[in-house]
Amino acid sequence: MQEVDNILRIFQEAKVAMMEGDGSLLRNLSDQTINTASRTQDPDNIATAVIVYALSKIVERSDYKKQLGWSTFYNNLIRTIDKTIKSIEEKKDFLIKKNLELMRKEIGNLSGNLKKYIEDVFRRSSINKASRIYAHGISQERTANLLGISIWELQGYAGRTNVSEAPESKTITVKQRIKRLGDLFK
Amino acid sequence: MKAIVFDASTLISFAMNGLLEELAELKKLFDGKFIITMAVKKEAIDRPMTIKRFKLQAMQLKSLLTRKILELPSSLDIDDKLIEEDAKEIVNSANRLFYGKRRNIEIIHIGESEVVAVSKILTERGIPNMLAIDERTMRLLCEKPENLRELLERKLHTKITVQKNPKKIIGDCMVIRSTELIYMAYKKGLIKLKGNMVLDALLYAMKYKGCSISENEIQDIKNLDVRK
Repeated sequence: MQEVDNILRIFQEAKVAMMEGDGSLLRNLSDQTINTASRTQDPDNIATAVIVYALSKIVERSDYKKQLGWSTFYNNLIRTIDKTIKSIEEKKDFLIKKNLELMRKEIGNLSGNLKKYIEDVFRRSSINKASRIYAHGISQERTANLLGISIWELQGYAGRTNVSEAPESKTITVKQRIKRLGDLFK
Repeated sequence: MKAIVFDASTLISFAMNGLLEELAELKKLFDGKFIITMAVKKEAIDRPMTIKRFKLQAMQLKSLLTRKILELPSSLDIDDKLIEEDAKEIVNSANRLFYGKRRNIEIIHIGESEVVAVSKILTERGIPNMLAIDERTMRLLCEKPENLRELLERKLHTKITVQKNPKKIIGDCMVIRSTELIYMAYKKGLIKLKGNMVLDALLYAMKYKGCSISENEIQDIKNLDVRK
């Protein structure tokens, strides 16, 4: 795992934010991992960004709490976050990976609507984080591959962001580009 | 002979906007080939065929391949093995190009490098060609790598250095996007919808489905249309 201290802080603060139901802080914490995730492309950093963002969406939906299996799911999530924090503190890398996987597996133990909702939250979180990594300059295909999503999902989402408005996106003029294409069609 | 080599991103923009038949009509006016590599076929057709949400568009794209609107590099006697080898070299070099905080910043993937590999082979054989790429990173790498370095530096908040001359890896590729292609279709009268808002609608549709074009550039294309 890359930049472990940062991830440790993220999970410590994420736990507090989760217990306080502070979705905004969780989103902010997830954003803080994106730089490292884009630069190192370390799977654990990417997983952390996705999980923390997903948590922000989960705590904000009060209707989830009425679903069957919610309290077991929630308590298991908190327990797994605690285990992850402990693994990082004890520098047990293999346990960190295992616990991050466990968080995803918790969803597998759900049933009915809650399972469907939470799966959807995690899928959307992956797409959102992929879009952020793409905005940092990593290509669509590479990013989609890192996040385990399809280019179709990423491109559809990225099109609705302001990625193309970045000043660095402009290279040659459209007039030059259209002239080149016109010449090829002659 | 001449060719346009398509990346998955451009095909996706056309497919998601239901404009594949317009692309097919454009091909009829082109005295050359529209090429896709095996890796692009996998990303644009084979993989979405297994995802319910994108299956229809993938089937429509497959139909373009069956109708030879889109063709594989073998139609130009280019061996897939040669593409694979060249693409591996390109991806490995490109992913060692930018360096920051004591590590290489890996920026592209194999499918994207296959498109460049085919373009380089075509250029070597004296076949005029362009790349159709809607996604931003590969386009910047081809056209203005310095902009990509600046973008990485700004977004990653760290000093980024360029380790090698990018031109030696990428060559002299020329890039177009779905927006320029649909503009061409519009100018050639291939768009069935008529009216003074059609061009604006087409360009924004491509932008919102992921074509990397800014609002200013869209305005520039529209101004070009008014002047002509």
